[in-house]
Amino acid sequence: MSVLSTQKDDVQQEPTPHSNWFMTQIRKKEWSPYAAGTMLGITVALSLLLAGQLPGSSGSFENLIAFLGTKIDANNIYFRFIMPAGITWQVWLMLGVFLGAFFSAWLSHDFRWRKMPDKQWISVFGTARWKRWLIAFLGGTILEIGAGIAGGCTSGLAISGGVQLAPAAFLFIPGMFISGIITAAIIYRKNY
Amino acid sequence: MSTIVIPVIIGLAFGWSLHKAGMTRYHKIVNVFRFTDLAVLKLMMAAMVVGMGLIYTFVGFGWVTLAISTPVYVLGNFVGGLVFGVGMAGAGF
Repeated sequence: MSVLSTQKDDVQQEPTPHSNWFMTQIRKKEWSPYAAGTMLGITVALSLLLAGQLPGSSGSFENLIAFLGTKIDANNIYFRFIMPAGITWQVWLMLGVFLGAFFSAWLSHDFRWRKMPDKQWISVFGTARWKRWLIAFLGGTILEIGAGIAGGCTSGLAISGGVQLAPAAFLFIPGMFISGIITAAIIYRKNY
Repeated sequence: MSTIVIPVIIGLAFGWSLHKAGMTRYHKIVNVFRFTDLAVLKLMMAAMVVGMGLIYTFVGFGWVTLAISTPVYVLGNFVGGLVFGVGMAGAGF
């Protein structure tokens, strides 16, 4: 049980500190979430200032899968009108997100190919790889359907909507946490 | 050009801060729902407070207009959140 409550195991010791404060921060595996959140908040505000729109993640996957969706059913209303196929602004943003996370991981020596998540998953669900991949796929699908219904995800609706005080964001966040807590309680049962 | 370069640069900063906050790790995402590690909540709240302050300052100066992309649809937003949470807690994304 104590193994589950503190999961610091996969965060290995910090790389050798640099004399330069800036480089030390760059090479850190993890920042305080308040520091990372501050950077995220500035990024979101600058996005509105520079591009006139706010970042979101889930929409880009829908724009991409719409290429396939419209092939299957050309009259699909969702892909025709709500999330049309295209290499949209959000798709380019997603490329940046991928690269940004990659550079962050690479520079902090955190990058490696992983087929399984860290110890917490293994201690709860075992080492079966198919189980992780199946649940990752199903969970990702459910997550994207939810984002489609709500009109955004954690970034596109909760954060980007929330910073503009959009009411939709404050309906989405409680929903996400209510069912997240219930789901976690169900899958972790006695370990919750 | 700016329709590609600007989103990629914004995305770089976005992905960078998410990785530095540990949001790429399964246990970070799941543990917020188990109340053992509130990093997700801290990140979200910090980003929202900073972002709100800056954006409404920009609005006050008349530099930007709000770009709320999601309309209010009480049932949809809430039920969508409920469905989303199941996937998030299950997969840990």
